[in-house]
Amino acid sequence: MNVLIVEDEKSLAKELEIFLTNGNYLCEICYDGKSASQKIGVNLYDFILIDLGLPDYEGLDLLKEAKKNNPEAACIILTARAEVYDRIKGLDLGADDYLPKPFSMLELQSRMQAITRRKFGLKHTTLMLGEFSIDLNDRSITHNGTQINAITKKEFDLIAYLILHKNRTLTRPQLSEHIWGSVVNDDYDSNYIDVHIKNIRKKLGVYAPADWLETVRGLGYKIKI
Amino acid sequence: MKLQNKLTLFNTSSKLVIVILFVLLLPKLIENINKTYTDNRLRKQRDKFLQIVKERGISNYIQNGESYGSYLPLHEDFISLDIDTANEWLDTIKNDRRVFTDDKDTLEYRILSRNFRVNKKKYLLEIGRSVSTISDTSSPLQSIALQVLLGMICLTILADFFYSNYVLKPLDKIIKTKLIGHKFPNFGVYKKVRTTTSDFQYLDESIHQMIKTIESTFQKEREFISNASHELMTPISILQSKIENMFDQEDVSDDVKVRLLEMQRILNRLKSITKTLLLISQIENEQFIKEDTVNAAELLHEVYDEISIRLQSKNLTMDIAVPPNIALEGINKFLMFNLFFNLINNAIKYNKESGLIAVNGYMHEGSFVVEITDTGIGIAEEQLPLIFNRFKKFKQSLQQESFGLGLPIVKSIADFHNIRIDVTSQLNKGTTFKLTFPNAA
Repeated sequence: MNVLIVEDEKSLAKELEIFLTNGNYLCEICYDGKSASQKIGVNLYDFILIDLGLPDYEGLDLLKEAKKNNPEAACIILTARAEVYDRIKGLDLGADDYLPKPFSMLELQSRMQAITRRKFGLKHTTLMLGEFSIDLNDRSITHNGTQINAITKKEFDLIAYLILHKNRTLTRPQLSEHIWGSVVNDDYDSNYIDVHIKNIRKKLGVYAPADWLETVRGLGYKIKI
Repeated sequence: MKLQNKLTLFNTSSKLVIVILFVLLLPKLIENINKTYTDNRLRKQRDKFLQIVKERGISNYIQNGESYGSYLPLHEDFISLDIDTANEWLDTIKNDRRVFTDDKDTLEYRILSRNFRVNKKKYLLEIGRSVSTISDTSSPLQSIALQVLLGMICLTILADFFYSNYVLKPLDKIIKTKLIGHKFPNFGVYKKVRTTTSDFQYLDESIHQMIKTIESTFQKEREFISNASHELMTPISILQSKIENMFDQEDVSDDVKVRLLEMQRILNRLKSITKTLLLISQIENEQFIKEDTVNAAELLHEVYDEISIRLQSKNLTMDIAVPPNIALEGINKFLMFNLFFNLINNAIKYNKESGLIAVNGYMHEGSFVVEITDTGIGIAEEQLPLIFNRFKKFKQSLQQESFGLGLPIVKSIADFHNIRIDVTSQLNKGTTFKLTFPNAA
């Protein structure tokens, strides 16, 4: 998949490129709006990541151009500007998602995957983990045909996020950012993720061992597939 | 005291002082007037008498050296003519006493004395008017004057009152429409308050100028927040993605990863603080829209779902008793969610093992009230006024991993929605936060 990264902050653009390339995306970078505008006019992309705070270009104008010349591309707005109206405007103009800076690149990747799933209408994303069958679309976990209802929304979010980034250790800060990212919170360090994982293991343990959900000592958790 | 009352009071008292002075001086004035009047009258009588003497001759009054005298029975006036033996010439008016031979009555008179010569003989004419007759008008005059003037004062008080009321009306209007009527500062269209009093025009224009200044400050602050958040968030964003990428590098040992995690934690803390501060500035700068309508009970249950995991670590019980049919109108859902989240989060953080959290909602005098009560460590009385200060942390809460911005967020969101917060607390017993929503009507 082709990704155009429009980001004037070179260092950040480079990190995004490294991360997405590792995830098998093909990346191009533009550090300014003018060259981005040219590229959008010529090439076709699957994803366009637009930083709204470009020095030479109004990011929202770039979004309009992208929607016109690259209608197939999914546009994700990345911004550090705190304007609430920007978000509404961006989504009104047809942006597929909006990520306020600073964001976790894992979050960006999960949003991109969600867009891909939506776009190509992947029907059943069921996978087997040990004796459990997990359906990411229906958000359900079953064991030998029995649906396990005890798993809460938050707990499923955690499992889904770990599955999405399978075989990668996710740290507690990364997991809490995903789970509580929208809450403006006074705690900077919480071990509530551990409580969630403990609960998940307990609830699933009734049916079968959930040893695919690994604790990586001192670092975090991962799901090995 | 109101300006209007002050003015009326001052006017009244100053007039009263003047009137009392006038009434006290009145006898003196009347005496003076009477004296002048009496003296004139005596002179006229003298001239008339002398005219008569000239026309008819002195023998008409005096014969054989007997003196002539005439008075009424009450001795109010008298006139006497005598042969004068003294040498000097007299033409005076002065007060003096006279004794009447018939009834030995002694009275004080104002007497005109004049001597003149007729037929080579010298005569003395005296015309007198009793002093008591002269002054007996003064006391009734004084009381009439007092009454009339007091009446006039009453009338002017009324007139003053109504006039000052009328004149001061624009001031009231300026205060009501420009300062308190709306939420201050009111950035609406400038509407001139109609008045012919230039002082009020000046005041009105000054307030308008002030509002304009505040408005531009707000605008600058808004730009500052936008720029500051860009400048702060971008470096954090770069650091965060660098750390995340390093985690994925295969040649990074687990030891280094633990240290990277530590960095990630600290970065998260910086991120939280920055986000929170920016959020508070954005709220205070009114950058949020209040157009959502949310069911109160549903919102609280949403918060509960989000936060319930935190109850487990201390084995806490939380009860939500909120009527199901209460809608919060004209609010910002995101902010309101954060308000409740932070209050309940506080109730969790400062609670004791196996404690309780009660969330009660009810209507009181037309306003919706939510009380969040915990059975925690409580807040000392002297610290209560400080709990909403940014970065304020108290001894009891030092072991908590927080940076003292939870309650400031709550406060700014509450202020933004005109929600009143009352806090009551007892050390080691617990704390109650009472939110009173603005009256829907």
